[in-house]
This record gives sequence, C-alpha cells and structure tokens, in this order.
Amino acid sequence: MNRGNRILLACSYWAFVLYVFVPLLLMILMGFKDSKFIGFPIRSWTLDWYTGVFSDGDVVSTLGYSMAIAVLSTLISVAVGTWIAVLLEGRKFLGRTTVFGLTILPALIPGIISAIAFRIYARWLGIEPGMGAIVWAHAVHNVPFVALVVMARLSTLPKSQIEAARDLGADPLITFMRITLPYLIPAILGASIFCLLLSFDDFVRSFFLGGYEPTLPVLIFAKLRSGMSPEINAIATVALVLTAALGIWAERFTRRMNKDSKT
Amino acid sequence: MRNDASANRVAVPQRKTDRTFWGRLANWTPYRSLVQLATASPRRQFWVLASLPLLWVLSQHLGPMLQMVRVSLTDAYPVAVGVEQHFTFDNYVRFFGERIFWQPFFRTLTFAGVLTFCTLILTYPVAYFLARHVSRKNQMLMLLLLLIPFWVGEIVRTYAIMILLGNTGAVNQALKWLGLIDEPIPFMYTSFSMGIGIVYLTALYMLLPLYSALEKLPKSYNEAAADLGAGAWTRFRRVTLPLTLEGISSGCTLVFLISTGFYATPVLLGGPSTTVFSETIAGFFHNAGDEWPTGAAFATIMFIAAIFLTGTFQKLMQALRKGDTK
Repeated sequence: MNRGNRILLACSYWAFVLYVFVPLLLMILMGFKDSKFIGFPIRSWTLDWYTGVFSDGDVVSTLGYSMAIAVLSTLISVAVGTWIAVLLEGRKFLGRTTVFGLTILPALIPGIISAIAFRIYARWLGIEPGMGAIVWAHAVHNVPFVALVVMARLSTLPKSQIEAARDLGADPLITFMRITLPYLIPAILGASIFCLLLSFDDFVRSFFLGGYEPTLPVLIFAKLRSGMSPEINAIATVALVLTAALGIWAERFTRRMNKDSKT
Repeated sequence: MRNDASANRVAVPQRKTDRTFWGRLANWTPYRSLVQLATASPRRQFWVLASLPLLWVLSQHLGPMLQMVRVSLTDAYPVAVGVEQHFTFDNYVRFFGERIFWQPFFRTLTFAGVLTFCTLILTYPVAYFLARHVSRKNQMLMLLLLLIPFWVGEIVRTYAIMILLGNTGAVNQALKWLGLIDEPIPFMYTSFSMGIGIVYLTALYMLLPLYSALEKLPKSYNEAAADLGAGAWTRFRRVTLPLTLEGISSGCTLVFLISTGFYATPVLLGGPSTTVFSETIAGFFHNAGDEWPTGAAFATIMFIAAIFLTGTFQKLMQALRKGDTK
C-alpha cells in the first residue's frame, strides 16, 4: 500500500476521533459557562452549575434511583443469562436453534417497539409503571448480552476439567459451582458492567415504563424539552464521567483477567 | 446444617471432605436426596436445567411481542369497565388510510437505509486503518479511545450534538469567525441534524463488526494479489471487499435496526418535517385518549417491515458472498 493512501486512512481515523470527542468536550466546557445562555463564545467561567446540581436533592435522588435500577436489573440479567448460556453451549437438543433465536430476540427489537411491547405486557401482568417495571424491562433486554458473552467464554472451558470433577464424585451442581462458575467469572463481570452501563444509559424503556420518578436520562430529557441551560450540561457531565469511568475500569479489569487466565 | 454434619461425624469416621463447605454440603442428606432426585435420569437432568430458561424466553422474550400483536387485533385496550373487547383489523387498515401515518413510516425506513449507508462509508476507512496499518499493541489502545464516547448514554450524546449544531453552536461560530457566513445556518431541527445525531449514536455498531472482519483477513491475500499485478483499487474491490462482506452485512443489519428504533433523538434533533414513525407510535401512548391497539398495530407493522428488510438484505449479501467464492 503506498504512502499517500496510508496518510489518507490515518486522517480518516483522526477525523473520526474528532467527530466522536468534540461534541462531548464542547458539552462539558459549556457546563462551566457563567451565563444562562447556551452558546459560544464563553467569556467567563463558573462552578456554580455543579454546586447547584449537587445541592439539588432531586438530581441526587434521581442519580441514586438510576443506580439502584441498574444494579437490580443487572443481577437478574446475569443470573438468567448465565443459566441460559449453560443450557445452550455445547449441548445438542431439539429446538436449540429456536431457543437461541428467542434468547437474542430482545437485543434485535428496535428500541421503541420493545418499549411499548413491555408497556403492554406490564399492563397485562398488572405491573404498575415505576421502578419494578423498569428493572424488569432492563433485565429482559440485557439477558441476550450476558448469554452471548458467557457462551463465548464457556466454549473455551476444557471439557477434561468437568470430567475430572465428575470422576472424583462431584454432582453436577457442585461441579458447576466449583469448576464452571469460577472459570466464567471474568465473562460474568464483563457482562455485568456492560449491563450496568446499558441500564444506566437507557432512555426509551425507562421513559415508557417509568412512573412519576424519572431516571437520570429521563430527567435530562424532560429538562431539555423545557429549554437548554448549563445546569443540564452539569448533570449530563456527571452522568458522562460516571459511565466513562466505569467503562474504562471494566476494560482494564477484563483485560487483566484475560491475561491472568492465559498465563 | 451444623447439627447434621456432627451427627454424620458420629456415624462415619471423619473424612477430609467433611471440613470444607462443599464437602459438608455434598454429604448433607437432604441435599443428596435432592440431587439424586434431579439427576435420576439424563432426561430429568436436562429438564431440571432447561425448564427455567425455556420458561423465561417464552414468557419474557416472546411474551411481550405476542401480547403486542394480540392487542393490535382488538378495538379496546386497556379494557375499561363495561366495555366489550372485539376482534378487528381496523388498526391495520387505519395505517394505509392516512398520509400522516404512512409517510413517517416510509420516511423512517428511507432515513435508516441512507444513514446505514453513510455510517458504512464513514467507518470503513477507520476500521481498515485500525486493522491494517496499526501495530497490534496500538490497535487496542486506539480502539479503546473510540469506545469511550460510546459508553455515554443516548440522551447525553444527543444533547452534545444540539450544542454543536445550534444557532450559537460551535459550528456556526467557527464558520462566522472564518468569515464564511454572516447569519447562522439553521442546522437544527432538520433531517441533517437528525442524521448527524443518529450516525453519532450508531457508528460503533458498524465499526466493530467491520474491524473484526478486516482483522481476520490475512495480509498475505493482498500481497498475493499485488504480486499478480493487481493495483490498489483492484485489490480492494476483488479481495478485501468480498472477504469482509460478512462484517458489512452484520454491521448494516445492526445499525439499521437500531436507527429505526430511536425515539428521543428525533424528538430532540428533528423538526415537524422530520417526524419519524417512532414518534407516531409513541403518540398513541401519550395522548389523553389512549389508543393502545392502534399503537400496537403500528409497532407490529414496523417490526415486520424491519425484520423483512434486514432479512432480505442478509440473504442478498449471502448470495453475493457465495457467488464470489465460486
């Protein structure tokens, strides 16, 4: 490949980096602007919007509410997703393809359709809009991701280890708890963090299944509809820092785990 | 449990396994009989393992969709007291009858198709650069750099685009400063701002499949083609492109499905002339006179259309791939 092409391709990469970073950086900057109006240029700076956000009880409780939903729904998704993965991986049975298809179905349904299908189903089951309904919808939506990640890891587990445990007299449950589960931990942790992020960031399901108490994305959306203000930038920046930090930590963590298990 | 274990100890000479939690559990009589019951035959063991996942996927994954289709075929839902529910196709007929319904539908599909293509064109060189021109060690770092913004939520990133493109936004101010314009260009609330926003949200779902397809492709293939006298363009068209069709096909499918389902982004970035179908569907669930069955019918139409289009597209790509390897 000649030099000119190479430089062109490198430019395309860095242009893409700019495209994904610049809007977010501008948004963060705007949260420090000492004026009510969103827009450039920024003449003077302030931290008032941040102190305002953290002294606002509503925003802080919304943050806690979103986190609680993320943790609860992740616990359910991880338990169910792992169970499904154990059933599907390396086992042949009639209808396996169908069960696999059904497993990944929630990940393929476009957001709005899944949100209103959940809304109708929640009504049918008698679940009131609110925290329970959101946790349930997030949990169902995230199961496919857990199942896929855990299945990938499970396929690399040496069969001989399971056989050895069984030969030594362990029953299937104890074999699972002492051999399979420890081997799956890196995948399960990685998948849980992905689920936490998906749930924390989710808007459309939280919006259609929520009661009067908003989750953080729903709160930002509601505030945006009544006009832009640096206060929203401050809230959005807090959400951004939380998610990005969790993501980076997870990335490092899973990479270290993978290295450890290879050596 | 401790009582039981000590009772055990009296009965049988102490074994090493009695000291650990798992050993004690394995020797605990109720647990043993339970395991024996569950694993009496391979068939029973399978059902013990399979019943919960099967129940879950049928009731939680398939259930909501089936219930949505069922509601879409009725004339009243939620059913009020004293009202009788009837079976009807009216909700589907309604879709074809009014322009304000089918226009957003076709607009959404067109937008999603065009944006998917734009995303492909935009991310292919990026994925190519990462997979081909960067050392193994830097690849992960440079990919990670792109992942960071994608962990940030849909609403926050949509807001970032609003700030970028607003009348006093960064783009307009920069153009003004350069002396290219006097009056701000009204980017916002058009299909342009919506497109920028949606591509911003979905680019990664295209980039990752493309990257993994390109990364799997051995460099020697290209070198062989070069030795045989193929130019850069021919090598790309005859070697690289056909062998990454699988990545292209899965990336496009993902991006298409995701872009049809956005609700908040079109609401915030679009205007009255860019109403998409998800806004139409959502309308039936928000207005005072809830018309859930019609909303359900429209969602069903959209789901069938999206699945049909992506299915056809995948079949087409498969045929193309087979034709090339012959």
